[in-house]
Amino acid sequence: MKPDANDKPAAGKHPLTSELLLLPDGRILVHNLTPAFAGLLKELNPDDEQIRLRSLPSTEHPT
Amino acid sequence: MICSTISGLPGVNAFKGTAPGFGLRREAKRHAALVGADEVFKSGVAAALCHRSPKSRAFLARERARIARAMLADCRFCAHDCGVNRLVGEAGLCHAGAETRIFMAQAEVSDELELIPTFAIALSGCDLRCDFCITGGPSWNPRAGEPVRVEILAGQARAALADGARTIMILGGEPTIHLPAALEIVAALPDDAKLVWKTNAHGSAQARALLDGMFDVWLADFKFGNDACAQRLAKVPDYVRVVRENLLWANEHSELMVRHLLMPGHVECCWQPVAEWLAAELPGVKVNLRSGFWPAWHSARHSDLRRTVANSESEQAGRIARNCGLNLVE
Repeated sequence: MKPDANDKPAAGKHPLTSELLLLPDGRILVHNLTPAFAGLLKELNPDDEQIRLRSLPSTEHPT
Repeated sequence: MICSTISGLPGVNAFKGTAPGFGLRREAKRHAALVGADEVFKSGVAAALCHRSPKSRAFLARERARIARAMLADCRFCAHDCGVNRLVGEAGLCHAGAETRIFMAQAEVSDELELIPTFAIALSGCDLRCDFCITGGPSWNPRAGEPVRVEILAGQARAALADGARTIMILGGEPTIHLPAALEIVAALPDDAKLVWKTNAHGSAQARALLDGMFDVWLADFKFGNDACAQRLAKVPDYVRVVRENLLWANEHSELMVRHLLMPGHVECCWQPVAEWLAAELPGVKVNLRSGFWPAWHSARHSDLRRTVANSESEQAGRIARNCGLNLVE
């Protein structure tokens, strides 16, 4: 669940935050995607190229 | 699909016909005099303003941060050119005071592929009032989040770099309105860290002079293709001229990447003129066309912004980009 915008987590005090918008046509929009959440989305949809590229280990990210 | 962070200039006259450093020096001296900050100029301000000097980036950033803080007495960091004294609590259109707060600091992978993973530091407050802002709460409220603690942030950033982050990104809200703190953060970061300035490209010539040489990449939004849409949706006048001026400058002084968040119903009025201008004036510049518009914040105030972008609009926007020969990046 999205927290109140004014209470968003800042440095070091709160968990990391990503936000999702699930659309009726099945698309998922993501904001503030963390590496961990990218990994989760990749598990849900391994064929999504955008997510695949963003879930690579840091040493393998494309240039 | 990844959604982007949605994220003038009487002052410009001070710099016409002069090197940025000299104009800035004169302007900084005037502002510092207002607040009795003469000591700013006893520490080699000329060196601080010449990014080609052998001084380290951290050293220069530290010196410029002191100048920028003095400039809060007559704030003209953005093109609104308010001229308020933020040091005594006066507020301009951004409502920011002298304190800088952050609402987010974390490693992220939703930005351009060549920049990720990035350690993103989001400062509260903004000089624009985009009704569709995906971080509208903290972006419209400079008192959101918590105060910047530079050493803690720098430690987190260094840890992120050690963990594989490729860049450190300072964003908002809009970081331009918080130049003193942004420069203090830069001063605390390793000189060899790749730094990204994520901006709405609505800064002033003063701000640009302070930023010269500080960031490796300017990641700049070009949101609206005409002033009418900018005024209606973000309450900002003279938008197109200001953004163009900033983009041309950024392209000369750093690596530039331009973002456009495609908005529903704004392919022809906003994206097309942006694409055509980029093709004509900044050929080859990296452009990220984002289609993950999200009807956030006050989008419902506008009938055109109550939905996401249709597939047909994304396809039309892609055709425009290809016809213009843009250098699209993901």
